[in-house]
Amino acid sequence: MKRAVLLLAGASLALAGCARKGVDPDRQIGPDPWLPTISQYLVPPMHVVAPSPWGSATPSVPADLKVQAFATGLAHPRSLYTLPDGDVLVVETDGPPEPIHRPKDIVMQLIQAHGHGDAKAGMDIILLRDADGDGVPELRTRFLSGLKSPFGVALVGSDLYVANTDAIVRCPYQPGQTRITAPGVKLVDLPGGPIDHHYTKSLVASPDGSKLYVGVGSNSNITENGMDAERGRAAIWEVDRVTGAHRLYGTGLRNPNGLQFEPQTHVLWTVVNERDELGPDLVPDYLTSVRDGGFYGWPYSYWGRHVDPRVRPQRPDLVAKAIVPDYSLSSHVAPLGMVFSTAAAALPPRWRSGAFVGEHGSWNRGHLNGYKVVYVPFANGRPAGKAIDVVTGFVSGDKARGRPVGLGLDRTGALLIADDLGNTVWRVSAR
Amino acid sequence: MVLGVPFVCFAAALMTDIAYARTFDIGWKNFSDWLLAGGMVVGALAAIVGLVDLARRSVRADWLIWPYAAAYAVAMILGLFDNLVHSRDAYGAMPAGLVLSALTVLALLVTAVLGALLMRRSSRGIAR
Repeated sequence: MKRAVLLLAGASLALAGCARKGVDPDRQIGPDPWLPTISQYLVPPMHVVAPSPWGSATPSVPADLKVQAFATGLAHPRSLYTLPDGDVLVVETDGPPEPIHRPKDIVMQLIQAHGHGDAKAGMDIILLRDADGDGVPELRTRFLSGLKSPFGVALVGSDLYVANTDAIVRCPYQPGQTRITAPGVKLVDLPGGPIDHHYTKSLVASPDGSKLYVGVGSNSNITENGMDAERGRAAIWEVDRVTGAHRLYGTGLRNPNGLQFEPQTHVLWTVVNERDELGPDLVPDYLTSVRDGGFYGWPYSYWGRHVDPRVRPQRPDLVAKAIVPDYSLSSHVAPLGMVFSTAAAALPPRWRSGAFVGEHGSWNRGHLNGYKVVYVPFANGRPAGKAIDVVTGFVSGDKARGRPVGLGLDRTGALLIADDLGNTVWRVSAR
Repeated sequence: MVLGVPFVCFAAALMTDIAYARTFDIGWKNFSDWLLAGGMVVGALAAIVGLVDLARRSVRADWLIWPYAAAYAVAMILGLFDNLVHSRDAYGAMPAGLVLSALTVLALLVTAVLGALLMRRSSRGIAR
């Protein structure tokens, strides 16, 4: 009882607004982030910026780079995939409507709607062909239509795999093809509705092409939809490409996206969106290699063995096994895309030995964080050094002109960025 | 009696809070959240009716109206905090939420007792 009153008093103080903005995110970049104590609030810190069109403006890049629009007028582009012949696939997508389980859901949906554009998302994959590599595609076709909240794409041989939110489907593909009309064949069901909180299913094929790896995000912030809703979620699945048989490769990963194999070591890496509502500086989102059978904490603990008191029953046995992630990107940046830059031949050499990360941006802290693309330098297959801002300027004043999501490299090795608020694909190359 | 609906809502929320704290079954917490929101909305409407009533001199004739109104105000403030604490996810609402639900019900019980005394002393009850 006394503890509860103290908690309440603490929450009231927090409400007064002393510690809602958050510290300099720089303190949380790297392998050993500063971690504050947990703060729970009566009303959590929130800062959602209204959208505003790009007009003639573009994002900002360092002096040795230039940025141009590769494609505009898209319908909520979130993910990119470049085919071996150089054609770029842009996945237009959005999540299914969220069910309302609590009064809070109504309020949160209203608040989040403030930060989203009005335009309706596509459920298609658009093909862009820039045959001469000048950064201006000559051809734009509707490559695949009628998908269900698609996100991940992977090609192995002549089999094109698309990860819808509820299943991976396989379609036949030939180089040069600009439209697929053949019906897809379902390879395996994925956890989709009726609740489908984190719907994006990131997809990558193993270097030898035998397995697919799928990111399956949690069905809640922190188990508020019940543990039954979390079966098979907050995990990376390993799926046999032929049989569709699957197993959980990594678990405790709240919302893993941007799955990629590190080119030098062939180890699987991912960026992960961590939990909200523990304060502006908790919990850091991260970039990590994923160990076979590894458990990364969610929901029971974060950043290794820091227990989350909101989860009952607790599982000390699992907390004891929780792996500390490799590299913190700082709190609430919402990383949703990642690409290794070894093949980024159109960029100056200083950008070619690391990983680019697309940070969609925060809502759960006073000072905005994320809303940019950063570069994490690597050496010997591991992060080596501070993340550097590469593409910024997505927020101007208190308006968001764009929000980066999925990343890719085009046929020339330029960096591509899917901007789901600006409905644009940006292309970054050497100046 | 206008207080009937909020009292039932907050009392039921206390029950579902206890059920959640004992079972960790999230369904009980969702019940609590809706009951508390319902209790708060109807309770606030009742408070407006009560404030309008207070503007009448005849209603203020009995000094007992003041502790009655104060007890109800305390209940509504506790109820508001209870709603906010319950907006935290999962067990983050506990144990503070359970304690606040209990205190809200207690404050409403005191309000009801004072209300009953007022009714007995006056032929014109104030809380219709």
